[in-house]
Amino acid sequence: MKSSLFHAPRSPHRPAVRLAWPILERRLPQFMRIVILVLILIASAIPRLFATHSKGQRLDSVQVTLELKGESLERALKQIEKRTSYRFMYRNQEVKKVTGLTLESGTRSLANTLTLLLENTTLTYREMNEMILIERVGTGVSSAVSQSVTEALPAFTVTGTVTSTSANEPLPGVSIVVKGTQTGTMTDADGKYTLDTETGSATLVYSFIGFQTVEAEVGQRNVVDVAMEPDITQLDEVVVTSFGIEQQKQSIGYSAQKVDGSSLIQMRQTNVVNALQGQVAGVQITSSGGAPGMSSRILVRGITSLDPTANNQPLFVVDGIPIDNSTYETASGATENTPRGLSNRAMDINPNDIESLTVLKGAAATALYGVRAANGAIVISTKKGIAGQLQINASSTFGMDQINKYPSFQDKYGQGSNGQYNPEDIFPAWGAPISVANVVDPEYRYYDNVKNAMQTGKTFDNHISVSGGNKIATFYAAVGNTDQQGVIPYSTWKRTVAKVSGSLNFNDKFTATVSMNYTNSGGNRVPHDRFMENLMYYPVTRDVRNFEDEDGYQNYQGLSDNPLYTAKYSKYEDRVDRVLGNILLSYKPVEWFSLNYRLGTDFYSDYRQEIAPGPRSATDEFPISATGYIEDTQINSRILNSNVFAEFKKGFGTDFTATLRLGQELFQEDRRSSIVTGQEFEIPQFFAFSNAKQLLYYQELRKRRLIGAYGDLMLNYKDWLYLNITGRNDWTSTLPKGNNSFFYPSYNLSFIFSEIANLPEQISFGKLRASYGEVGKDTDPYLTSTVYANSLGFPINGQLGFTRDDVRGSNDLRPERTTTIDLGAELKFFENRLGIEFAWYKSNSRDQIFRVPVSEAAGYPTIVTNVGEIENKGIELVLTGNPVRTTNFRWDVLVNFTRNRNRVADIAEGLDEFPISTQFGYSGSTVTMKLKEGDAYGNIYGTSYQRYYEGDTPENLRYLDHGLPLVIGANGFPVRNTDQLVLGNAQPKWLGGIRNTLTYHGVTLSFLIDARWGIDQYDQFHNFLSAFGKLYYSENRNDMVVFDGVMADGTPNTKEVFMGQALGPDGVDYGQGFYRVYFRTTSENFVRNASFVKLRNVSLSYSLPKTWLQKTPFKAIGVSATVNNIILWTPWINFDPESFSGGAGGNATGFTGLTYPSHHEHFVHA
Amino acid sequence: MNQIKVKLTSIIAALLLVSCSDYLDINENPNKPSEVPMSLLMAHASYRTGDNIQRVGNITSYYVQYLASPNAFGSKDVQDATAFDETWQELYRMMSDVSDIMTLADEQNAPHYKGTAEVLMAVNLGLTIDLWGDLPYSEAFTGEYLKPVYDDDQSLYDVLRSLLDDALVDLNAASSELAPGTDDFIYGGDVDKWKKLAYSIKARYLLHATATGDASTSDVLAAVDNGILLNIDNGAIVYSDQGFDVYNPWAKVAIDQESAILDGWISEQLADAMNGTTYGVVDPRLPFLMSATDDGEFIGVPNGEGRGTNVDISGDRSVISRETYYAANTSPILIITAAETRFIEAEAALAAGNKSRAYDAYLAGIDAHMRMVGVESVDITTYITNATVSVGEDNLTLALIMKEKYVALYLSPETWNDARRFDYQYKDMTIPANLNPDLNGSYIRRLIYPDSETSRNSDNVPSVTLLDRIWWDE
Repeated sequence: MKSSLFHAPRSPHRPAVRLAWPILERRLPQFMRIVILVLILIASAIPRLFATHSKGQRLDSVQVTLELKGESLERALKQIEKRTSYRFMYRNQEVKKVTGLTLESGTRSLANTLTLLLENTTLTYREMNEMILIERVGTGVSSAVSQSVTEALPAFTVTGTVTSTSANEPLPGVSIVVKGTQTGTMTDADGKYTLDTETGSATLVYSFIGFQTVEAEVGQRNVVDVAMEPDITQLDEVVVTSFGIEQQKQSIGYSAQKVDGSSLIQMRQTNVVNALQGQVAGVQITSSGGAPGMSSRILVRGITSLDPTANNQPLFVVDGIPIDNSTYETASGATENTPRGLSNRAMDINPNDIESLTVLKGAAATALYGVRAANGAIVISTKKGIAGQLQINASSTFGMDQINKYPSFQDKYGQGSNGQYNPEDIFPAWGAPISVANVVDPEYRYYDNVKNAMQTGKTFDNHISVSGGNKIATFYAAVGNTDQQGVIPYSTWKRTVAKVSGSLNFNDKFTATVSMNYTNSGGNRVPHDRFMENLMYYPVTRDVRNFEDEDGYQNYQGLSDNPLYTAKYSKYEDRVDRVLGNILLSYKPVEWFSLNYRLGTDFYSDYRQEIAPGPRSATDEFPISATGYIEDTQINSRILNSNVFAEFKKGFGTDFTATLRLGQELFQEDRRSSIVTGQEFEIPQFFAFSNAKQLLYYQELRKRRLIGAYGDLMLNYKDWLYLNITGRNDWTSTLPKGNNSFFYPSYNLSFIFSEIANLPEQISFGKLRASYGEVGKDTDPYLTSTVYANSLGFPINGQLGFTRDDVRGSNDLRPERTTTIDLGAELKFFENRLGIEFAWYKSNSRDQIFRVPVSEAAGYPTIVTNVGEIENKGIELVLTGNPVRTTNFRWDVLVNFTRNRNRVADIAEGLDEFPISTQFGYSGSTVTMKLKEGDAYGNIYGTSYQRYYEGDTPENLRYLDHGLPLVIGANGFPVRNTDQLVLGNAQPKWLGGIRNTLTYHGVTLSFLIDARWGIDQYDQFHNFLSAFGKLYYSENRNDMVVFDGVMADGTPNTKEVFMGQALGPDGVDYGQGFYRVYFRTTSENFVRNASFVKLRNVSLSYSLPKTWLQKTPFKAIGVSATVNNIILWTPWINFDPESFSGGAGGNATGFTGLTYPSHHEHFVHA
Repeated sequence: MNQIKVKLTSIIAALLLVSCSDYLDINENPNKPSEVPMSLLMAHASYRTGDNIQRVGNITSYYVQYLASPNAFGSKDVQDATAFDETWQELYRMMSDVSDIMTLADEQNAPHYKGTAEVLMAVNLGLTIDLWGDLPYSEAFTGEYLKPVYDDDQSLYDVLRSLLDDALVDLNAASSELAPGTDDFIYGGDVDKWKKLAYSIKARYLLHATATGDASTSDVLAAVDNGILLNIDNGAIVYSDQGFDVYNPWAKVAIDQESAILDGWISEQLADAMNGTTYGVVDPRLPFLMSATDDGEFIGVPNGEGRGTNVDISGDRSVISRETYYAANTSPILIITAAETRFIEAEAALAAGNKSRAYDAYLAGIDAHMRMVGVESVDITTYITNATVSVGEDNLTLALIMKEKYVALYLSPETWNDARRFDYQYKDMTIPANLNPDLNGSYIRRLIYPDSETSRNSDNVPSVTLLDRIWWDE
């Protein structure tokens, strides 16, 4: 957080426009130029669009069908809100007084309806900014006259304009009162006011419904202009549910949490998944590492599929259309299958283009999306143009990354073994004390190679958008560019996103919305796993930075490749071109019926090239690869989604409203991957297939189709009781005929008890909800049959060769089924200044389709079958608070808490356990994540030190009891227990996040702290480091110690032993020494608590006062500085514990180690 | 509204019914076939059995001290309890493929395929038994038993014997509707050679069984009579030069060594046995087995100790090299040779008291191996006539046979079986430095079961230590 880490903020004048355009011209392909051209054309058409803008006509043309029998005005307005796109603003006390309204059933214009409703009241209405304001007669536009009560001596006159910050439009009808007096006035139609006060030292209070109250000190000024912020909490929260349908949050009976785009942008994350970190209850995000463009994994309410290869992640839906969020790590055809840290495809969405994001949790929430959303859904709405406003937004961000946590290394002992000086030894740190050997060999000194090998990472992010429109058409167009360099040298990632969207109301009945998103992303992915491993092997007494000579030959030490040499020359570049297109047609011929059709496509091409150079010449002894190879991977994916639904709305009397949706969905996924590998270059340094001795070819086609038919009935009783019933039937291509059609229902109930119960004044809102839902789930294509695969290297001499495939298919598969019960409550207190949302859920996933890993001797390493059940139970808590709200200072708090417990309820007949995944450890310290009936998912098994039990050691011991004393052998060292015991669990006990936002004038300070608690992980890097004497604790290697523990007979151990290698001071030969013989070989030492508390995000922003900008073309200019990812506390010994080895596609998050380390991020943003 | 609802629902339903079945009928795997001809399985099985032999040899060669790690504490050198999961997997995958060929051959009335497959099954099963002892077999390969039971290793030797007997019956069939040809990378479909191979393999396993009296020396000698007695009949997989993935796997080791991935270093035990240090006679086969140092010498690395200080990673010690008989890109992997058959004969005859036959076989074994690797006749004569070699039939000992067999079976997995049967009594062979302390100063006797079995078939996998013995070693 040192200020020197920040570059000076850029000049606030025309900040990003200049920055962005040269980048566009220089780097963008043809396609992008076309997008820009379109953007310019749209921009030039804006004045014409605005010319057709005229206010006030629609209230006459919009028709409302309404019938009232002795209703309150408030209810009447809510009914209108439901039947039209308008929302009302009013003062509660004014509107609540009006009751007993009766209106004959009929269809009237909205203007007419409102006139009738307000006929005998002191109220009138006014349309403003897509809203209708209900106010007292005699205020607002028509009465711009000053109403100030003149007292003795008017000494001081203040004038000014009041505007809205959101729309930058003048606000008419704002009430202005001199604080502590009765003196006041209102703004006129242009938002202007004049007020006489006694002195120039008065404080003015500006208030207006739907906006936050503002206080301003006059301070001898004659002109006081004020901008008022909309008060979002006062409006009904709207969430986007299935298929882009917006619903008032109060009406839904399941669990959904919304995150505003601004909260996402504030995180300055290039990956939208990372931007959700700590912000949503019930969601667990695990970054697979800190490389630019590296994938992150997201889980909603825990693991639901037992299959080790299953995707447990939620469905991503952008503007109503599901998109691909897969993570495709290096392919099976690869010669050297080392992880490269590829992206999860949701990274192709630019967070800057996101308006809001809603997380739908549980089967009932996602029932309409069907099979693909069995793990929840992330529903993203992108930014749209808003009628009446032309906005140009430009922003520019620069960030710097540094490793946020290093292991503590020892710096006392150098290369060699047995404590002997040997600059040629394989062991990097079991040698002589550096201080001693340095006397004879000055080169033998300590280098902090881990730090030296890393660099400061950089992120540049520029984004510009233009949006606007009128009542007929709106548009949004944006271009964003992100450019990152990682902390490991040579790792890079770039992304350019161009987005255009627009909507057109052909007439009152027919609307079309179109959006298109083009993304170009990719970078160079260093072999981070090899990098970290080689770094670990690298001697502490040699400088890792001297990695090559001037001809590019490796400076090799006869030990292992230099990590930096590998990073530089072992290339893996990917380039993704992706188009997300979406069209929505809505036809609403009558008030009660509409027909909607949405067609979306997600098309991408993912091209990758890996080059491992062979020897640079015939004399090159230390090439990256013995033979050299080139590998091209081409993945083409096309998802097509068609969804048609009809919506019927009908009121039954005044109390009931029913909404029915019926629809049909088609989904088609078409994916083609091909990998060509060319091996053995004949001409050194010429990396082409034509120069390869052997070509290997791998291809995979994958097709999946799905048809769904669904119905959704919503009943609303008096706006305080909502019942929602859905049903969906799916027909899938991936299950055997006869089993490929399945139906599942859901039921949701929402009860707003604050509407009918007489609650204390402090409670402003109260809701109880309950839901039950089922979701069926199909599986991957082609699991219904057992097949043979081409044998690697064939054809040989023209002869083809085949072998059994890894998986035994099954033609008896049935759909999986997940059922969820979800109960919740939502309470708001003190005029919404405190909100509590609570959820309890239980979900059971049964009949899982599963690639069960079985004994290799069975004939197939994995067998597909319907087995098993997993149960997830949990609670979620969201607190929102606004403890302080004064004129100039505001403090908001958002707290999330998640606790999920899962249990493997059942596995399979004949199986009581099986492994999900295994990670290597030296000499018996290999660990396995296994599933066992009754256990929680994520138990890590491995070897341990023997514990002493009073009496006999229990039979069939399963869990390691850390609390018991160690058994020490006769030789004075701990006894290893090679039985596989549970050493820990890789699922967190709970997760939580707290965001505080403090605003003072234009300065906003926001910080997010999040915590992950009660989680264990295996640390492979630690295992390696301990084997090679690199960690701080091995500095005790020359000590004689007595291990704390008891002998086999229970008496305390008293034997003193040497911690080092070879001969100890007691004359005993200790061989490889404690750390290699006992410590590194015992898994227990490396399965550690990986809890953390993190200062995830601190953001300080400043907006220039509006008054400063009046004479400039800018409406708002702000700068901000952000720091991410400061670890406040963790017992973890290695780099940041928040990363795992497998890439976001996998489920083995308990295995960590040689991954790309995470880092602090520092950003400045203008 | 109800009417509309009904209409709409029925329209959707109709659309679905019409299109559903065709539209969804796309789940046939377009990438991989569900049925393949036997010949494609045979091509893989015959070629990749060589890889399995090398895979096992690359473990056992450290235990018998053909090879040594250039670094101290090499886990195979010090005989750590390593779970060789990949080796187990590849052996079982191969046997599963071979079991498919056997089934298809029955269905398609192709006894020559069946017989060939039975021999390949015996080769792979034999390798597996001798590493691990008790194994799943009776419930293996079909995919029906997820946790196959373990069969007793002694009974599995009966299986080996009947596999080979059945193979001989099948190979003797007068006709076979389909028969192996270019898909057979071992003999190109030569049935007579397959029969010889079956006999030689049978002789090998009968010889193991003589230790417990489960086979007699006359059984062994009867098999030898019909076995491989000429190098031209050697059971060998001939590798292709087409590309790295199909090279002889020892060539891949040599390539690794060439590019500083330290691998394939020769043990001091083997180098000294041949360079005159141990036996006082220089073996002319040295350059055909290993590289010479930059100084033209043949020097190995002591197991467990590492190469020591001031030893360069190339040129200072002998390593596996693509310049030798064994590790060129296209070198053969030997299943069983005339030399081995002769040494089996020598050992059995010696045990049977037929010294003269034993001595002839002993000399024939040396001769066969020397000719196989390409030693000049004059050098062969010089070596064989050396007094330490031509000791005369009365002075022939098991130790001498084992000494020569050790060299002649360079890199072969069979040598570890010999070493265990011979109780590691090779001259000057010593316990490696930094030996795994769990072995209490003794040599390794078996492998521990792979992690995959421990975790996936824990009900059945026996609990063993490295000192437990395979049945014929008890």
